[in-house]
Amino acid sequence: MSFDIALIIDSIPKMLMGIGLTFQLLFLSLALGTALAIILLLMRISGRWYLSVPTMIYIYIFRGTPILVQIFIIYYGFPQLEFIRESIFWPILREPFGCAIVALTLNTGAYVSEIFRGGVIGVDRGLKEAGAALGISATHRFIHITAPIAIRLCLPAYSNDVISLQKSTALASTITLLDMTGIARTIVAETYAPYEVFVSLMVIYLILTWFIQRSFGWIEKRMSRHIREEV
Amino acid sequence: MEAITGWWDDFFWGSLVVVELFFVALILTVLFGLIGAAAKLSKNRVAHAIANGYTIIFRGTPEILVLLLFYFGSAITLTAIAQAFDPEVKFVDFPPFWAGSFAIALIIGSYATETFRGAFLGVEPGQVEAGRALGLSNLQTFIYIRIPAMWRLALPPFGNHMLSLIKDTALVAIIGLEETLFVAEQAIGTTGKPFTMYILVGAIYLGFSTIITLSVMLLERYANRHLEIAS
Amino acid sequence: MNDSGQASIIQLENVDKYFGDFQALKNISLSVKKGERIVVCGPSGSGKSTLIRCINRLEEHSKGKIIVNGHELTSAVKDIDAVRREVGMVFQSFNLFPHLTVIKNLMLAPKLARKSSKSEAYEVAMKYLERVKIPEQADKYPSQLSGGQQQRVAIARALCMNPQIMLFDEPTSALDPEMISEVLDVMTDLAQEGMTMIVVTHEMGFARSVADNVIFMDSGEIVEMNPPKEFFDNPKSERTKLFLSQILTH
Repeated sequence: MSFDIALIIDSIPKMLMGIGLTFQLLFLSLALGTALAIILLLMRISGRWYLSVPTMIYIYIFRGTPILVQIFIIYYGFPQLEFIRESIFWPILREPFGCAIVALTLNTGAYVSEIFRGGVIGVDRGLKEAGAALGISATHRFIHITAPIAIRLCLPAYSNDVISLQKSTALASTITLLDMTGIARTIVAETYAPYEVFVSLMVIYLILTWFIQRSFGWIEKRMSRHIREEV
Repeated sequence: MEAITGWWDDFFWGSLVVVELFFVALILTVLFGLIGAAAKLSKNRVAHAIANGYTIIFRGTPEILVLLLFYFGSAITLTAIAQAFDPEVKFVDFPPFWAGSFAIALIIGSYATETFRGAFLGVEPGQVEAGRALGLSNLQTFIYIRIPAMWRLALPPFGNHMLSLIKDTALVAIIGLEETLFVAEQAIGTTGKPFTMYILVGAIYLGFSTIITLSVMLLERYANRHLEIAS
Repeated sequence: MNDSGQASIIQLENVDKYFGDFQALKNISLSVKKGERIVVCGPSGSGKSTLIRCINRLEEHSKGKIIVNGHELTSAVKDIDAVRREVGMVFQSFNLFPHLTVIKNLMLAPKLARKSSKSEAYEVAMKYLERVKIPEQADKYPSQLSGGQQQRVAIARALCMNPQIMLFDEPTSALDPEMISEVLDVMTDLAQEGMTMIVVTHEMGFARSVADNVIFMDSGEIVEMNPPKEFFDNPKSERTKLFLSQILTH
């Protein structure tokens, strides 16, 4: 079994053509998913059962089922439902790209809202009490005291989730999208050279992962510059 | 709903395959995780480097890519080996069940490595010293002192790994394993109801994750029973 | 307990507080006059912290009446924040906001809760920072300050809201010994300026020199309340005598 270097050199540019799609999937789902996560978080900690219970169910379902199944339900399953076909969302849900974004967004929203919730819970109770003792209203306490601290606390878990999301974008290749993985699979189907093609693709993903980790490491460092060891 | 009647059998057998896959992968995961943790904790620099490489590669690569690589790669390798013996052989298939469980175990094992490593480091050195002082051998302190203490610390994060594991089993359908998604495809072929079928698959997985979550809760209670009595 | 003509600024009548089955406060009745300085002492678990935390409703009392600055504290009081603006609290663990500089820590509540402008808040903040003698730390973060400095910032932060009453919950218990006096000095100055204060503390020297009345609490009850001279030289109850003998021998 030989290692075809020429094939690798030939395949990499082809696979990199899919990186645009990979990035679109990643950043769009991340942005929308994070926004959704904030809404879910506020509903979850609102204290009102008619907001928090549906949210908990939503999160439970999306964290308890494989993301591949979620993608299939949206891409293959939704067209079965008449009210979907007749809704205003149909143009989005008809396209594999739209379906992938919707699935990744809904999934990320569930995970990230739990991460945010962990951050909020992690804020020292004493700090919230100090804010209360000063007469600062609950809303203001959340915005000015809890949120800034919670964000810094969540960063490691959030960065892990971004990496997970990046890995999940590869699943878009299962619904015909030609992201990097999709292109790789077509190359392998033609050349029967899984090692060369898939291993080089792995290296590309690892580089992307490394970038994400470095970026978050930098952000975390900047946010923590005032949290140093006690004098 | 009537569309599902007649398919209950097949979904049942498909679910059974998922369960088999889960347990095989689980055993391998624990194995890989323990080996990886041992390598990371050892003083041997080569072992350390390999273990680090292992965790970096398998935590940063999309799961589906690992699966595809293993499946097609082993098929190609096996074919090459078979052709060395018998040039007539065209193509040797590698059973997707084993490719899948091995691949998933490698992936989750890389997360388990970190979890186990952290848990081993969390064992109070004083307890190990006490064991030695009492005359227990290295192996005995490992089995009777280290492992029980480490297990209690590892359980919560390992529970999460198990949830990831069960969800990753869905991906093995992509390489042709005849489990629930496969059954769903066939059912869709005859009934034309993709939404119903995929929702059913989702429900099956949700059932599995619920069982896992409950089991982990019970295990955690059992592992911490000595603390509960004290309080 | 209220025999002079002055109105009481804090009034507790038959207050009980339960945490589940555990009763933390038993039939507490207390009247605090404006400008009065009260020190509360007692063993751990006696309910001293719970008592002052009920006064600014960080804890909700289960039975009885609490009236602070003319407002009765009930579960229906929507404007708890309004009451809390008039009552300042200093915590054992300082609770400074770690993500804000010292000056921002001081300015936050005036801007949000009293709607002060940035320049007004800044002026007030610097004034109180000078009062606690650390104006040069204004742009530092709490983690860069010593424990004693952090607690002084916490006192200044509470003062920036111009409260009528100051509550102190074991303000020096988390400090290294050499930093205790810098904080007690600030509290003494405050007392001399006529601030109504309730201080939960083990610092008996402070109690002797500053307090108008010393309260001994045990198992959720007020056992004894007397001016310091009476309290320390002539304790009436056995429990008080026992407690004093335990802490004063050190």
